[in-house]
Amino acid sequence: MDLKTMLETLVTNGGYLGWGLYYLGKLLAAGLCMGIGAIGPALGEGKIGASAMEAMARQPELSGTIRTNMILADAIAETTGIYSLLIAIILLLVLP
Amino acid sequence: MSLEGIGERWIVYFGNGGFFGQLNPMTLIMSFSIMIMLVLIARKIKFERIPGRVQGAVETFFDSFWQITEEVVPNPEYRKPTFVIAMTLFLYILVSNVLGGIPGINVTPLASGINVQLFTDVWYSPTSDLNVNLSYAIMVLIISHAFAIKSKGFVSWFKSFFEPTPIMFPMNIVSEIAKPISHSFRLFGNIMGGGMLVLILSSIVKYFVLPVFLWAIFGWFFGIVQAFVFSLLTIVYIGSML
Repeated sequence: MDLKTMLETLVTNGGYLGWGLYYLGKLLAAGLCMGIGAIGPALGEGKIGASAMEAMARQPELSGTIRTNMILADAIAETTGIYSLLIAIILLLVLP
Repeated sequence: MSLEGIGERWIVYFGNGGFFGQLNPMTLIMSFSIMIMLVLIARKIKFERIPGRVQGAVETFFDSFWQITEEVVPNPEYRKPTFVIAMTLFLYILVSNVLGGIPGINVTPLASGINVQLFTDVWYSPTSDLNVNLSYAIMVLIISHAFAIKSKGFVSWFKSFFEPTPIMFPMNIVSEIAKPISHSFRLFGNIMGGGMLVLILSSIVKYFVLPVFLWAIFGWFFGIVQAFVFSLLTIVYIGSML
């Protein structure tokens, strides 16, 4: 049984309880996915920012290069957060 | 403007439908107009012996990328092709991301038909379609392996999958497959998620002032940073295989 027919049976046989369960699972999963998935990138970006600040304080003449590399590393560390955002969007909008 | 139809795409079906029978007209229209725009701009800049202001700016801009390419790509023969590929991708992605921060024409499908929005939403950006990003990322993967075979020879390229020990062979295969996925999903998630976030946040304040700042952040700042990251990772992926 695939997901769509399963959800259809749940909603048709369950009535209001079925609708409630459907939306409970969907919204709770999207919220948890985004909330837990944002922890990792936040820690990573904080670490990158702290290290960049230290390096800039030690060598102010290199601050331009360090800032460029910091933004780059931030964008790469963000990737896992973007994945969880995509999954949250899929759960909210694409799921039948 | 309501939130109906958010995240939906205008898709035209022809033939039997299915995987090869679908067309995304907005992606096609916007990508071809961006290409034509870039070609027209590139033809307008004249390169002379004594540089003008425009030529100076363009040369400074490309020179910073050339320095990165020289550091990353070890083989001097493959520096110029890598640079050309990365810069083509950079210019295309930059223009298409920045168009996602300028109000313009966007088309969304509704239940009642196709809804054309004029200057209430941003321009449709081709990089918010996963097909575009994934095809570029797979192209970069194939190019990096082709360059590796050409420069190292087939045997040593094949041997590089069994390093450091033959037990690592499945891991190496998985890491090669994960490359285009992370490469394309990063850009897609940033542009698509940013666009959606702007629409949802703006609808909370009834489109009062806030969208301008959000378009500046998500369209311009993140767009430029992501275009830079995409082209830099192109250089790094090609350079690390050589």
